[in-house]
Amino acid sequence: MVAYSIRRLLTLLLMTLVMTFLVYLGLYLTPGDPITYYIGPEALARMDPSRLLDLRKALGLTDPFIVRYLKWLGGVVTGNFGYSLTSGVSIGTILAARLPATLQLSFAALLISTIIGTAFGLASALRKGQLTDNVLTVAGMIGVSVPQFFFGLVTLLLFAINLQWFPIGGRLRPGHIALIDQLRHLILPALVLGIAMTAGVMRYARASMLDTIGKDYVKTARSKGLPEWRVNLIHGFRVALAPVIVLIGFRLPMLIGGAVVIEAVFQWPGVGSQFIEAVRGHDYPLVMMIALVSVVVVLASSYLVDLLTAVMDPRIKLS
Amino acid sequence: MMRLMLRGSQNRLMRKMDRIRTAEEAGTIKTHSGGRVLRSMLHNPLSIFGLIAFFVIVATAIAAPLITRYGPMQINLSGVLKPPSLQHLFGTDKLGRDIFSRVLYGGRISILIGLGSALGAAVIGVALGAYGGYKGGWIDTIFLHLSEMFMSFPQIILVLLLVTIVGQSTNNLIIIFITTGWGSTYRMTRARMLSVREEEYAVALKSFGLNDFLICYKHLLPNALGPIMVNITLNTAMFILQEAALSFLGLGVPLQFASWGNILNVANDLTVLQNYWWIWLPVGVVISLFVLSVNFIGDGLHDSSDPSQQG
Repeated sequence: MVAYSIRRLLTLLLMTLVMTFLVYLGLYLTPGDPITYYIGPEALARMDPSRLLDLRKALGLTDPFIVRYLKWLGGVVTGNFGYSLTSGVSIGTILAARLPATLQLSFAALLISTIIGTAFGLASALRKGQLTDNVLTVAGMIGVSVPQFFFGLVTLLLFAINLQWFPIGGRLRPGHIALIDQLRHLILPALVLGIAMTAGVMRYARASMLDTIGKDYVKTARSKGLPEWRVNLIHGFRVALAPVIVLIGFRLPMLIGGAVVIEAVFQWPGVGSQFIEAVRGHDYPLVMMIALVSVVVVLASSYLVDLLTAVMDPRIKLS
Repeated sequence: MMRLMLRGSQNRLMRKMDRIRTAEEAGTIKTHSGGRVLRSMLHNPLSIFGLIAFFVIVATAIAAPLITRYGPMQINLSGVLKPPSLQHLFGTDKLGRDIFSRVLYGGRISILIGLGSALGAAVIGVALGAYGGYKGGWIDTIFLHLSEMFMSFPQIILVLLLVTIVGQSTNNLIIIFITTGWGSTYRMTRARMLSVREEEYAVALKSFGLNDFLICYKHLLPNALGPIMVNITLNTAMFILQEAALSFLGLGVPLQFASWGNILNVANDLTVLQNYWWIWLPVGVVISLFVLSVNFIGDGLHDSSDPSQQG
């Protein structure tokens, strides 16, 4: 177990290292000369070429590619992510300001999709082949077919503009710090993001539950004369739930991708809407850094999922 | 007597075998594998709905010039923001362009991007995956890790990252979708080949001394075709949705072309969202319907091409 987790950790670190290299390569190849941070364009045009070269040397811009990469990597590891091209603010500061909003939204969506998805999946599996199952299956298909942002727009029109139950966008109103106000802002985007992912969870929970209730020990439980709900919930559902929970890890890339679009629709001030702004503004360092952070999050979570699966399911061979 | 009868039936059996063999050698026996999948799909009402919706949308997009007299870019400033009427089925937008026509012509671009990227990704993924799964070796290791790297990015983040680097155009979008999409087909084909190559007939072909390419692409690959088709439908659905989302954000197809996502782009404006529903609602429904039809087809293919689901 220890050897396995260490080996997986080493692969994870290697992958992350390769990713940082690719991101740096991308930064290196995209336009944008760091020297423009220091000197205004007019001054730069009038500057003596030899002084410019000296300055470049002093800043380490004439170093070989690999040296510059290692220096940059050292900075990233110690928390210096570089600076945004458009605002000049340090990327670390931007991320720190934006991350809580994204985490809040993602967590809420994850919670919604897990609860609704497992409940529907369970209902679907227990009524396999009947009307409930068919209706839920078709509903799930529709759920993955409607563009998330379009669904977001429709809910925005219905519940925020027409019915005015919820605010139109944003996260906080100035002067309103109350939890209730926060929740009112959170509900719509979290529901839209969560419902889009519910279909996947439902399919998976249904398959997992069907798999479990076909097992011998469930038949044994039933033949002992246990009440049906007990057989289904205690013997079936509890076992079927484990892989569904593990699925959370695999839903993370989808969650991050969905958050990018939904944050833009609802003007949620998270990392996703910042990413869209950065792409629009050709803010290369910020785009690269957010991409890098998202990859590291996904890699780390898949590592944790693997470990969790191994711990929870002794049948998995650790080789 | 008994023995004679037995011999007679054996003879008949032999003759039948001979007939089948001669027919087989003459190449007149038809196999019904494709027909079986189609027949089984036609028993599934959802697949039928999917096939009909798919072909209706594709056909109307192709036949757009025959169906509508308006061009997708034809500006008419004397008739802006008109609600749906007999003249303009879906109404007109802020520049007086006919939205029905834009939806039809937009379908051409969006379907081309979705289907084209999915097919492109499938060609690359299948070619690499079949060979990698059959032969293994260092090429396979490299592509395996490469696909792993592509797949650890959240898809839309990787796509936007590449859009920032290479710039925004329809061709770039297709290339980016193919670059980011081949991984799933590759892994699936590869996994399927890994199991097929251990089958006895594969070993037999190998011991006959057949060329590796021939074994791999002609004899083994057809066994992986079902899941590959399903994968293509899934990718098509995903790319159509992504094109729509990217263009809605103004980062996909350049705005001078009418794609489904670009028509929805105006819904970023709250006044449009609130007052002019016909500009964005019909196209959103069309996108959803098309993706749904592709998903139904994929689901039907999945059920009918999976032998464990027969019976």
